[in-house]
Amino acid sequence: MQTVQMITHESFVLSPSFVSDLREQGIDLQITSTGDAGTLTASSILAAGAPTADLLFGVDNTLATRATSEGVFDPYTSPELANALPEFAQDTQGGYLTPIDFGDVCINSDDTWFKQNNVVIPTTLEQLPEIANLLVVEDPATSSPGLAFLLATVARFGEAWPAYWEELRDGGVAVAGSWTDAYYSQFTLSGGDRPLVVSYATSPAAEIVFAEDASITEPTTSVLVDSCYRQVEYAGVLAGSENPEGARIVIDALLSRKVQEDIPLNMFVYPVRADATLPEVFTAFTPIISTSVSLPPETVNEELASLLDTWGTVMNR
Amino acid sequence: MFTFLIYPLTKLAVTAWSAETLSELTSSTLWQVTLRAGGQALLSVGLSLLIGIPIARVLFTYRFLGRGFILALVTVPFVLPTVVVALGFRALFGDAIPNGLILVVLAHAYINIAVVVRLVGAQWSTLDPRMEVTAATLGANPFRVFTSITLPALRNSIVLAACVVFIFSFSSLGIVVVLGDGSSTRTLEQVLLRSTSVLLDFPAALAAAILQLIVVSLVFFISARISRNEPRARVVLERERIGGRKTMFIVAVTCLVATVLVVSPIASILWSSVSSSGGVTLQWWSDLASTQNTRIGSPIAALSRSIGLALTTGVIAAILGGAIAIAVMSKKGFVVTLALIPLGVSAVTLGLGILLAFSRGSFDLRGTGTLIPITHALIAVPIVVAVATPSLRNVDPRRYFLALSLGAAPLRAWWTAFGTVFSGVMLAAGGLAAAVSLGEFGAATLLSRTDSPTVPVQIARLLSKPGESAFATAAVLSVILIIITMSLLLIVDRIESRKVIT
Repeated sequence: MQTVQMITHESFVLSPSFVSDLREQGIDLQITSTGDAGTLTASSILAAGAPTADLLFGVDNTLATRATSEGVFDPYTSPELANALPEFAQDTQGGYLTPIDFGDVCINSDDTWFKQNNVVIPTTLEQLPEIANLLVVEDPATSSPGLAFLLATVARFGEAWPAYWEELRDGGVAVAGSWTDAYYSQFTLSGGDRPLVVSYATSPAAEIVFAEDASITEPTTSVLVDSCYRQVEYAGVLAGSENPEGARIVIDALLSRKVQEDIPLNMFVYPVRADATLPEVFTAFTPIISTSVSLPPETVNEELASLLDTWGTVMNR
Repeated sequence: MFTFLIYPLTKLAVTAWSAETLSELTSSTLWQVTLRAGGQALLSVGLSLLIGIPIARVLFTYRFLGRGFILALVTVPFVLPTVVVALGFRALFGDAIPNGLILVVLAHAYINIAVVVRLVGAQWSTLDPRMEVTAATLGANPFRVFTSITLPALRNSIVLAACVVFIFSFSSLGIVVVLGDGSSTRTLEQVLLRSTSVLLDFPAALAAAILQLIVVSLVFFISARISRNEPRARVVLERERIGGRKTMFIVAVTCLVATVLVVSPIASILWSSVSSSGGVTLQWWSDLASTQNTRIGSPIAALSRSIGLALTTGVIAAILGGAIAIAVMSKKGFVVTLALIPLGVSAVTLGLGILLAFSRGSFDLRGTGTLIPITHALIAVPIVVAVATPSLRNVDPRRYFLALSLGAAPLRAWWTAFGTVFSGVMLAAGGLAAAVSLGEFGAATLLSRTDSPTVPVQIARLLSKPGESAFATAAVLSVILIIITMSLLLIVDRIESRKVIT
């Protein structure tokens, strides 16, 4: 039995069979989590070359370039990646990382509220400024979905993004410090006064899976498809690992069909594997969005600090 | 102390150090944040003292039914995960008070009532009430008695409490993220978080951490200067029974106000544990043990893990607290200052340092499960020391020599002189540290094994997922956390008070 240490973020969840199946292959997988994806990446950069584990799961496309350029990872691309959806098969961040799952950050709407108040649900980002007083977003400096939404507007409006945010500001957009505050105290679904919130593409499905009443079969929230930003999560072998061979086996296992099909209902993101069957609640209510935007990781790496500064100036924060 | 505090922090500093750190230290933004956070912390201190001192007076100078319960109750906000407190404040004041300085100060005062009540109360219970009575007999009005007799006598514990509340508010994170406005309420801790986990700008993060440590050390230095020359007071063993209608009225009103203050911000969370979109339900409670919840982690596993950690932390802190108590009694004052320093080191910084220092090679402590209790003990010991120091300082060392001269063997004499206080301090230290461990979030989130989160980590994880049952399960866990904490404090308080009376 060989030991493999995996370090990940606190949102990592898979069924217990993930660990027990690896055990049958002779691998004792020990999983440690360290804060959110950002803190995880930060700690791996601080420990670059002399890592605290053998592999890392959970670095995303926002921070990937920074991590790979700091020598955090050894080159490895899983052969299983051949089975991935076409857009991910080559997405290895220079041969260092293997994409495992992806998800979208999108504006969610409380459809019941819109129906009751006879307001038309917006379908484009351009419609938002005039109803900005119905929207709550998260501060990109403290919240990862908040940052993704800021990047979505940058990807969509290019140089003109600050003007878009000025319009949102003048229209009365609310800014929450965290997703939890935005979703659970400002969103109308939870008793707040904002029927539009920046959340995830899969939140409507989660509302059904985690509903009190098992007979609830249709979500009362929906996704504003035009607002979505694509996030990809990667795994990689840490440079200086004591067991790189074992780390590679675990990365391959993360791309196995069984684990890939286990991902959606545990982490509410989509598997990258093309032949993975999505659970019914996903296919019915949160199909994969094909129009999501994202910025190249190199661009994010270079411009993040100035983007946040400009956003802070525009929003007076 | 060296191994688990100074070594990891040095390791972190050396790893993150670069020439840019120096230029960051002179950045005007950083100093602006420091000044504003300082102002915010001062306001938080003022409000905490204003609320806490009257409650301390009633709880620590009178003996009445339910006293232990109220004391345990006011400790609850201190132990609750900040995300729960923050959501509660949003629910209570969301429409009336916008995010910003006022809301942040209110929340800080709320969390820190227990610090003021326990610190000031511990000293108040040792004051000789005859002083006040004499002053009153000589014609001083109650206000004058309070300002010229009571306050000066309580100076040391008030300074210490102010010091602790200042540092907690100055380095606050969870509260300012949710209840702040992002600019006027920013803290160095928030700068630190943004630098480490969003921008990955380590020189800037280190600069913020260094600046924070400087401010904290300065605060301790100032408070040490103010609180020298402790007047020695008599230890009063019995609390006064309530006599007279007027006193009874004051006690009742104070207890009522304290209860309302503590409960109202978390009432909405408590309510969520027994309600759903369909009305009142006990389903969340009955779901607790079912496998249906495994997708969002087993609450029962988190509970048993947290309780186990709390007990381990309690034992470690009791031993450390005992050692420090001996140092205090033998007048090694610098030990107290040293023991208080971890207060100023952010949990995130400490967690990262410990992770770097102890998770590889011959120092791999991860598998042993000791990282969290050790870190928790480090976080808890300063609070324990702060609570215990006033009563320890009041022990008259002449009792030791008296026992010696009466023929007792040195160990026996030491125990006669200091034993009761000593064992009381160890017990209180263990109990309080266990409570701190139950509620601690920052370090636990960095050092947890993924499959075994603590209760506060589990609550935060649940609250970062959409879905009614995620939110409700978080509410149920919060209620359980409150119940466990209160039971623990009640038990410790009961044993302790029995000790003092016998």
